[in-house]
Order: sequence, then C-alpha cells, then structure tokens
Amino acid sequence: MLKLNNIEVTYLNVIRVLHGVSMTVEDGAIIALLGANGAGKSTTLKAISGLLHIEEGEVTDGSIEWNGERIDKKYAEEIGKMGIIQALEGRHVFEHLNTEENLIVGAHNRRDRHAVRQDLEMVYDYFPRLKEMRRNTAGYLSGGEQQMLVIGRAMMATPKLMMLDEPSLGLAPLLVEEIYDIIRRFNTEQKTSVLLVEQNVRIALSISHYGYVMENGRVVLDGTADFLKNNEDVKEFYMGLSALGTKKSYREVKHYKRRKRWL
Amino acid sequence: MAELLQFVITGLSVGMVYSLIALGFVLVWKSSSVANLALGQIVLISSWFTYSMLAQAELPVYIAFPLVVLFAMFLGWVIERFALRPLIAQPILSLIAVTLGIGYFIEGVITFIWPWSVDALPRLFPREVIHIGPAVISQEYVWVIVICLVVFVLLTVFFRYHKMGIAMRATADDQMAVQACGIPVTRVFSTSWMFACCVAAIGGILISSIGGITHGLVETGLKAFSVVILGGLDSFAGAIIAGPIIGLAESLGGGYLTPYIWAGVKDIIPFVIIIIVMCIKPYGLFGEERIERI
Repeated sequence: MLKLNNIEVTYLNVIRVLHGVSMTVEDGAIIALLGANGAGKSTTLKAISGLLHIEEGEVTDGSIEWNGERIDKKYAEEIGKMGIIQALEGRHVFEHLNTEENLIVGAHNRRDRHAVRQDLEMVYDYFPRLKEMRRNTAGYLSGGEQQMLVIGRAMMATPKLMMLDEPSLGLAPLLVEEIYDIIRRFNTEQKTSVLLVEQNVRIALSISHYGYVMENGRVVLDGTADFLKNNEDVKEFYMGLSALGTKKSYREVKHYKRRKRWL
Repeated sequence: MAELLQFVITGLSVGMVYSLIALGFVLVWKSSSVANLALGQIVLISSWFTYSMLAQAELPVYIAFPLVVLFAMFLGWVIERFALRPLIAQPILSLIAVTLGIGYFIEGVITFIWPWSVDALPRLFPREVIHIGPAVISQEYVWVIVICLVVFVLLTVFFRYHKMGIAMRATADDQMAVQACGIPVTRVFSTSWMFACCVAAIGGILISSIGGITHGLVETGLKAFSVVILGGLDSFAGAIIAGPIIGLAESLGGGYLTPYIWAGVKDIIPFVIIIIVMCIKPYGLFGEERIERI
C-alpha cells in the first residue's frame, strides 16, 4: 500500500509545486489522478518514483510510505527495486533499440533469466502487436505501438505498483480504449496496483476504482469513480457535460453561471 | 606486389588498433555524451604499466595481461567515480574539460614513475616471420589483427545480448527513461568507463608491442579521434570500419608517397580523408542520424 502524507514538493529550493497532497493507493486498486495541465499530477508521480531528484526537485515536507517504509528520500533505482515503476509521459522509448531490447531493459533488475523469458511472453500476450514488431527499431514504431511498448516495458519489471503518465496522450480514441482494456486486464490478472495520471477523465474513470482531482498542487476532490463520474463539478469542468448529462452547448455558456464548489 | 601486401597488412593491423582505441571513445560518448580527451594518456599509462609488469616485475604474459586489464578497469572506475560523477548534470563542456585535465594529470604521473620516457616492451609474439606469397611479414601484425577481431566480436556480443550492454545502449538514447526503469545510470556510466579504459589498454599493449613505448603514443589518442569522427561519433560499427581505413591510408600513402613528397605525409593523409568525408557525410560514415517520426 502506498501512502502520501501531506507532501510538499519544491523545485530548485524555491518553486513550490505541491502544497500538501495526500492520497492512498490500496493494493490491487486502480487509482486515477485527474486534473488540468500544471496541476502537479506528473510531479506527484515523480515524487513517488524518485525521479524528482534528477530534476532538482525535493519532497520538502510530509512523507511517502510504501508498505510502511518511507521512500521519499530514496533514489529511483532503489524505489524501482521495491516494485514501483513509472512509465513516463510522452512515449520515452529507446529509439535505436528494437522492441524486444526495449522490453529487456525494463526487466533489468530481475535476477533469473528464465522468468524474464516468461514475462516477455506475457507482455506479448497482452500486446500481440508488439510481438509482430519485436525486431523493429523502436524509433520507427507508430505512436500507439510506442505507447504499448512503454507500458509493456513497465510490465516487464513485474511491479507491485505501476504508474502510468497519460497513456492516452495523442492516440486515436479506439486505440485509447484498447490500451485501457489491457491495463484493466493486467490489473485484475496480475494483481498489480495502477496509479493513473490522465487528462481524459471519462476513460480514466471508466476503469479506476477511486480517483483524485488535483488543481494548483492540491487535491481538491476525491472519491470513488462512481462518485466522481456523477459529481456536478467534474462533469461540468472535466467532462464538458451540463447538468442534464447532454453535451454542453457553448453558445449558451455564461462563464459566471457556475462556480466550482471546492473553491 | 610484395610491397603492397606488406603495406596492406601493416596498415590493417595498425588501423584495427586505432579502432580499438576509438571504441574506448565511442563507449563513453554513447552512454554519457562525454568526449573523453584523456584517451591517449590512458593508452600510454596502460602501456607503461604493461612494461612494468613484464619487464620490471618479470611476470609471465598470462598473469601480466589480466593484471593490465584489471588495472585499466580500475583506472576507468576511479576516473568516473571521483572526477565525473560529482559533475553529473553539469554543463557538458565542464565534463569534457575535466577529461582534458585528467589526461594531463596522467601524463604527469607517467613522467614521475617512468621518467626515461622511451622503452620497448618485451616480445609478446613469436619472432619468426611469415611468408605470404612473395611478401615477408613479421608475425606480430597478424597476431594484432587476430586479437582485435576477437575483441570486436566479444564487444558486439556483449552489446547485443548482455542486459548490461543493452542497458548501456538504452542510456545513450534516454537517460530519464532508463532511470524510470529502475536502472542505476551511475553504474552504467562507470561500466562504460571501465570498458573504455580496458579496450584502450589492449590497444596500447598491441601498438607498443609493434612500435615500442614512446611519448608519441598519446597521439594515437588523436588518431582515434579521427577514426571516431570518420566513423561517426556514436557508432561502434563505424569505429571498427574507419580504423582500418585510416590505417591503410597511412601505410599505403606513407609507403608510396614518402619517396616523392616528404616524410611527414603519412601523418597528414588520414586528416585529408576526414575532411573530405566530413564534407560529404557530416554525421560520419555510420553516425546515427536522429530518428524523426513525422
């Protein structure tokens, strides 16, 4: 179980981007972290995975606990070995390696080669497309295939908690659905918890159990997926639906008509 | 005809040694984009160390050689750990300047320990000459070629199939993503430095077994740069192929042109070739062009 206790994150010792974020990721759950650009979602993920150190950021207050152990001062490689793996935003594949080599890099910290073979088959089972492309240079894969590869690479580490940063970014709606189906299957079959950062609120809430909404470095709303889906503010400001649940007509919008309740 | 064959064999073997040393450069460049300007000095100090093991401590080759490899790896580890790691995330120019400083430091150490500055390695390879058709070739050239080929094959296998090799190539592509996979990049860097010093040391032994140890070995570092530039900064295959090209150009050009022009022409030819290639292929013969998906 992952627990964030009121964490503050500061970049370069002066720029504070998170002002007291708390959240819990139960074992085996899919948690969605929602919010607009610059809300602090990616920073939260990087604080958990330890990648913050590279960007000269630091958790200046609060604590992050993974199964009771504090991890907020640890480096990415230690946290990775503890079973928390992050897939970065924006398809960071290793361009000059082929698909299979990319996946093997994901399994770097695994000791036994035999299990790595098996995991490779498992990932190919989830993403049959990658199996067809196993010898192709990753840099020349299509956007969807690259996203699959990044998720597959995270799977190769057999994480206990997989953090995905905007897996739907720049993908066609059909492909987004396919990828989300796979994430859900992976979660139920492998019992891996998933922490999901998304802008695409609708699809994220369709597979997650619980969600947090962030704004300006704070969690402003949290609740079960059903609660969030039916929340007026979420509907209005993140899904673009009016009170009636129909598509909003922008002609009739008066921006002062509705205020966010949490402000 | 005999002359030609001789020039070709010597050119090939010297060129392959250049390739080895160039690989030392490419290794570091690929994983951390640091240009290692201390390469020539590393070659020189490894040669002197070999000399001490063989001639001064009088160890047999099969003990001395592993010791030299260990020494080189240790040297690489020390350089990475104490000179470069504190500078991670600093501007790349300061890192390069640091390697330059390391080079001069090593040179100082060398003149301190081995002040006589010229010597010959004891013979590593049998003395008998080989007759290939009309040509008479001293055996060490053939041995050098064989050893270089073995090292090339080992390195290729390592980078293709070993997980650390794959991780090193991955680091060259995207450091951030490598860290997100839970791989300690610092270990990748120190491994690449250890390997780099190791191949440079082997290159140093081979070339000083042919030509003796002189201060001029530092310049093989420079030759290696020209190989790297010709082959492409980040290409192993490029370094392996460009080395013999430079070597052949040197020995053929030197052999045939010296009587007509002047004695130094041998050293100029490689650079003329580089300038011509740079004009036509600015990435080098095999340099990786950026993969751009449109």
